[in-house]
Amino acid sequence: MSTQYSILFKQEHAHDDAIWSAAWGKSEKDGSETIVTGSLDDMVKVWKWSDEKLELQWTLEGHQLGIVSVDISHNGAIAASSSLDAHIRLWDLESGKQIKSMDAGPVDAWTVAFSPDSKYIATGSHLGKVNIFGVESGKKEYSLDTRGKFILSIAYSPDGKYLASGAIDGIINIFDIATGKLLHTLEGHAMPIRSLTFSPDSQLLVTASDDGYIKIYDVQHANLAGTLSGHASWVLNVAFSPDDTHFVSSSSDKCVKVWDASSRACVNTFFDHQDQVWSVKYNSTGSKIISAGDDRAIHIYDCPM
Amino acid sequence: MASFGWKRKVGEKVSKATVQQFEEDSKKDEVKLELDGVDWLHVIKRRREVLLEDCAAKSKRLKEEGALLAEQGRHWEAVKRWDEAIQLTPDDAHLYEMKSQVLTILHEVFPAVQAAETSARLRPLWWESWQTLGRAQLGLGEVDLAVRSFQVAVHLHPSERRLWQDDLEWAVRLREQKRAAQSKANEEEEARRLLVNAPELQQDFDDFESDEVIAACTAMAERQKRYEELKKTAVVVDAQGAVREIVVEGDDTPATSTQEQLVKARGL
Repeated sequence: MSTQYSILFKQEHAHDDAIWSAAWGKSEKDGSETIVTGSLDDMVKVWKWSDEKLELQWTLEGHQLGIVSVDISHNGAIAASSSLDAHIRLWDLESGKQIKSMDAGPVDAWTVAFSPDSKYIATGSHLGKVNIFGVESGKKEYSLDTRGKFILSIAYSPDGKYLASGAIDGIINIFDIATGKLLHTLEGHAMPIRSLTFSPDSQLLVTASDDGYIKIYDVQHANLAGTLSGHASWVLNVAFSPDDTHFVSSSSDKCVKVWDASSRACVNTFFDHQDQVWSVKYNSTGSKIISAGDDRAIHIYDCPM
Repeated sequence: MASFGWKRKVGEKVSKATVQQFEEDSKKDEVKLELDGVDWLHVIKRRREVLLEDCAAKSKRLKEEGALLAEQGRHWEAVKRWDEAIQLTPDDAHLYEMKSQVLTILHEVFPAVQAAETSARLRPLWWESWQTLGRAQLGLGEVDLAVRSFQVAVHLHPSERRLWQDDLEWAVRLREQKRAAQSKANEEEEARRLLVNAPELQQDFDDFESDEVIAACTAMAERQKRYEELKKTAVVVDAQGAVREIVVEGDDTPATSTQEQLVKARGL
């Protein structure tokens, strides 16, 4: 356990081209830690994190164009990936085999997110609809309509009650999953929202936008709780720590910033990437952070607990 | 009272323009003389500021002029304006991007790619520079690179429908067609290589009348047929963009060439 933020591991040239997405999961079965990355080189790679280093486990081929988004189910058994060829693919992480391939229709697969019970995958579409696919059925089960623009980002609240979507015109929508009703529409940013995330207690929603700001909302009352500045360019990704105390953001200014959730101050900045950082995530305990970006490198950082 | 003066007399024989020029010049000299007493460091600083401002303004004017010329189809003149503007403001990604568009129209494919690359390097988050780069790369025949550039553009700005449909989809289709043609060419090349460098002919034959020699020749003839069949087919892209292989009719008579080749094989 470290007492300060530091870079722990670098995997240079993890892909042949820019890495657009990364996810960190933990297997319920054997407790092993798995990292999945998706890249512009059409590949999805599965890495094992053990003994403080990365080991390539599988290179998953199948997508015809660049991978926009990857996610790992909460039990750590399945990975989902979406690519510019509008396909969502499900992969078995143990065997490295493709389980399903779902054609989301032209332009209708962007960010993918597993529901907390891992039975569904949500993805945005160009017409402002959030499409929910069944993991078992491999088909579209239902959709939630924001009546808005292209949806870039999707997040489930960890308690399974809410689903939030961020659109290219900066509008945030929060749905009640049980009733399928649109609860709140927030005009948070004037520019695209590339990422949003709930806090582990599902009370807060953090959004990242091309306007360079990070905003924090109180989910129940839909109040703006804070606006954070610090990045010099687009904020591309945000992720909340499982211990509820911090969240992390990445930006096209090549920085990764860690923020204190209560004081809303930036507590650390990593300047280790050479290019835009598209993706940043915490591990299951909040002791590590992973980031990846256009420089094709995967970085793992140590966090004080 | 009329007074005598040299100046006026001289002035009468010199053109008005020259006199004005002379007067202005001498005024400038005076200014310079005045400046002699000033702290030079500050003067240089102030001058640079003034200069920078002028560059930006002039570049903007040239950019607009170029845009107008390009609209009227006077492409080369537009490129010239923008080149001048680039001299003044070398970090303006817009200039390179517009120049690349016009160069693509002019079929100056390589400079077009270079200009677009510069634009994408200066402003990597601007999707339009990637779109222009992709289009320039298509002009150069670099389909794979174009597909990549369009993907970067789409990733930055996915709500642009035309980028998906006109650019990315089109480039992906071209990539498929190119790959089909490529694999056909490889197949043909492989068949040809086996013909020229036949494994049956590698061993030494003691007896030229033996069954082995005849078997080898038959095998060679079979290969020759296969090669010619491959030669007769061509990869064709139909109107829907689907890739098909068809047999080309009316090719030069294959029968004679087979015999010729066979004779050659025996003569070894």
